[in-house]
Amino acid sequence: MSGLYEMLIKGIKETLYMTLWSTALAYALGLPLGVILVATDRGGLRPMRGLNAALGIIINIARSIPFLILLIAVIPLTRAIVGRMVGSTATIVPLTLSAAPFIARLVESSLKEVDAGVVQAARSMGASPMQIICKVLLPEARPSLLLGAAIAITTILGYSAMAGIVGGGGLGDIAIRYGYYRYQRDTMLITVALLVLIVQAFQEVGARAAKRIDRRI
Amino acid sequence: MPEIILQTRGLSKRFATGDPVLEDVDLDITAGEIFGLIGKSGAGKSTLARCVNFLERPSSGDVLFEGKPLSSLAPRDLYKARRSMGMIFQQFNLLMQRSVLGNVLFPMEIAHWKKSKAVARAKELLDLVKLSDKENAYPATLSGGQRQRVAIARAMALSPRVLLCDEATSALDPETTRGILALLRDINQRLGVTIIVITHEMLVIESICTRVAILDNSHVAEIGPVREVFTHPKTEAARALVQSDGRAERLLRLIESNGLTVEEVLSRVGIV
Ligand SMILES: Nc1ncnc2c1ncn2[C@@H]1O[C@H](COP(=O)(O)OP(=O)(O)OP(=O)(O)O)[C@@H](O)[C@H]1O
Ligand SMILES: [Mg+2]
Repeated sequence: MSGLYEMLIKGIKETLYMTLWSTALAYALGLPLGVILVATDRGGLRPMRGLNAALGIIINIARSIPFLILLIAVIPLTRAIVGRMVGSTATIVPLTLSAAPFIARLVESSLKEVDAGVVQAARSMGASPMQIICKVLLPEARPSLLLGAAIAITTILGYSAMAGIVGGGGLGDIAIRYGYYRYQRDTMLITVALLVLIVQAFQEVGARAAKRIDRRI
Repeated sequence: MPEIILQTRGLSKRFATGDPVLEDVDLDITAGEIFGLIGKSGAGKSTLARCVNFLERPSSGDVLFEGKPLSSLAPRDLYKARRSMGMIFQQFNLLMQRSVLGNVLFPMEIAHWKKSKAVARAKELLDLVKLSDKENAYPATLSGGQRQRVAIARAMALSPRVLLCDEATSALDPETTRGILALLRDINQRLGVTIIVITHEMLVIESICTRVAILDNSHVAEIGPVREVFTHPKTEAARALVQSDGRAERLLRLIESNGLTVEEVLSRVGIV
């Protein structure tokens, strides 16, 4: 029993490790991409039709690749970056790559909610496009961005469980090894319940924080 | 010879989607005046306002601010020029995630002011618009009139020479409108700021403007001193404006705008 307990604790740690690092790295890529999508759009701060269309298409293609295929397709890249092709750290590479375009779209939709009148007011005060991004769009969209982050993190957590198939570690790995391959239903159920709890926690915390920081009553 | 602070020269604007919205608009705004621009909905007033500070690039023609053509300015210089032209809007357009003080600080942050200097200036401005007690409130908790006062304080932060007001009172009730108009007049008289008032309401023009231009069918139909244009309209557009604003209704609003009721006026003239 204590073996199971330790295994679950290790699984939780691995899952959180993969999820949080992947989310952070995916935002490092996806946030600027989302900003570029909004800024270069028609009627945006710096309309650039070609760039906007090209970026949109690339993001759509990246988003339509099934995660399992991406997981295997990027193995050479993973090996080049991490030095290994299995394990939690190795899983961060495909997780990041698959989440970044999704996050770009989340960020895009959050920034588009910002009232165009407020942007116009900032322009009338002589704000540059960069200032408008940093001082108007991102801060005004903060509650919505935070809600988006809760969606992103829970989605990435779900995908991290799939990485168990290639020995990625974490709770998903345990669920597959014990529940599916060895028919230990109890272990599998406990593991799934833990995953549900973690997802709930992230979603709840994100939603509450978004509400708390929102100043629109 | 009074200084001409702002000129539009042959200003035309046509959007990709259709007919020209503005055609060959020539306006000369004198420093220190309160200039009114009136016209029906869709006449192109807001478009003209946005062209004046180049938020919208004219399709042809130019805007001269203090004699400098805005079309000749590099982006950085255009941003600088805009800081000399404040703007307020019908929907206030405040930053909803910033406090009242934060909103007034915003233009000074954009202009890279030192924090302490900016805070001192912001407090001075909140005093001017009588909102000192609300500096830590957020816009969502303010009334429309209070929001517009914040917007005015924010627009005045960088000491602009011109203040563009696009339907600044159209979302407000008559009494609040009166308060905002009084504030604008005060800013004009005490600080010498040139004000351009854009509206579809004659009463607003009558209460604070010295001159008025009527925008109709993408052209300036008529321009002149307010009394002259409103009492002796020369063009069909001006006549339509004066007439469409029913006389009885105007009389009522005039009475209201002086803080009186119909009963009071009637009893004063001895009818009741
Ligand atoms: N960005 C735009 N793209 C296309 N057409 C536009 C755009 N902005 C304004 N127009 C058109 O220009 C015309 C004038 O619009 P504008 O907003 O300047 O009118 P307005 O006089 O301010 O009206 P209102 O009193 O209703 O505010 C309208 O027919 C409008 O559809
Ligand atoms: Mg308008």
